[in-house]
Amino acid sequence: MTAPAQPSDALGLLMRAAQDGDAVAYAELLRAIAPQVRRIVARQRGFAGIADVEDLVQDVLLSVHAVRATYDSSRPFVPWLLAIVRNRLADGARRYARTARREIRVDESDVTFFEVETNTDSGEPADADVVREAVRALPEGQREAIELLKLKELSLKEAAEASGTSVGALKVATHRAMASLRRALGPKNQ
Amino acid sequence: MNTNDLIQRLSTDLAPVEPLWRPGGRALAWLAVAAVYVVVLTVLLAKSGASIDLSSPRVWLPHLAAIVASLLASWAAFASVIPGHSRRAAACAAIAASVWVASVIVASRWDSDVATIVASRHELACVAVIILGGAPVLVAMAAMLRRGAPFTPATTAAFAALAVGALTNVGACFWRPHAVDDVTLVWHGGAILALVVACALGARLVPRAVGARLGRSS
Repeated sequence: MTAPAQPSDALGLLMRAAQDGDAVAYAELLRAIAPQVRRIVARQRGFAGIADVEDLVQDVLLSVHAVRATYDSSRPFVPWLLAIVRNRLADGARRYARTARREIRVDESDVTFFEVETNTDSGEPADADVVREAVRALPEGQREAIELLKLKELSLKEAAEASGTSVGALKVATHRAMASLRRALGPKNQ
Repeated sequence: MNTNDLIQRLSTDLAPVEPLWRPGGRALAWLAVAAVYVVVLTVLLAKSGASIDLSSPRVWLPHLAAIVASLLASWAAFASVIPGHSRRAAACAAIAASVWVASVIVASRWDSDVATIVASRHELACVAVIILGGAPVLVAMAAMLRRGAPFTPATTAAFAALAVGALTNVGACFWRPHAVDDVTLVWHGGAILALVVACALGARLVPRAVGARLGRSS
């Protein structure tokens, strides 16, 4: 009678099969490690929101995927995985510190005003086709800013890199675009 | 994207990958190829009739220490791109490099003043052999390292440069035989140190490439 495989050995066997191209074993492996990774990340980054924790979990899974050739099946799987988790956590912390130092979320300084009639929260939701049309009618720079920041939900830094403009210019373009959209979607145009 | 969707995407059309050799095996393979290259380079550059007397331990011991340091530094570089690998390789490489430097210091004649050392411009040819001659083997090692996980790029690059510098230094001492002395120590040591520092700093300047390699852009 053979001894039952240890959980870590079972994960190692799944990874070995994944290295051979077994997609089912790989999906099983990733599903098995995702909750463990989530637990570790949530414990280490308790201050982060659920979305940030999930981002880091996905970062770890992407790293596991990218460097799966480095796993040596004669060695235990868990230390290999934990080294990747530690690295991604450190990288995530550095990224978080950089973002907090350099960027201000646009949503937090949104173009809402004290006057009730200009506050978007007080308005009725607009028709999707009308909104699409209004976005299409924006000048190119403003349209790009809205698409990158609001539709694709990129960070200011990522959007600036994608559009080749500065963060400040993007903020201004977003501010103007929001004002234009508010005018276009105001009560008279609905 | 939802994590379950990500898992589905990653596992769909999964391509098989060849597991990497162990770091020791990769280091030996690299050293074998690099040693052949350095021997050929040395033979091509060697001045006719030039020979080096290896009968004295003061001559061969530093070269042997340099080759061992090169092997262990390449082992450390390859081990550093394997997640969870012990740091024993890095410790061994650091010890081997220290032994090598100590052997050169002990074997050297210390009879030159600073002006003589600075004026020894003929050593520039050795610096070129170490840095420019080492470039192809450094590129080969970088290509091998790229298949690993670049978690500590500066450390990995420093060990890779040390491995290359230690090996090409041996070639530089043979193509134009010269005594093991303080002039050699300063010029050769300075060239290797410059190579190590430049590679470590260069690796630090490419964090985006590292992020992309780890799959953030995939």
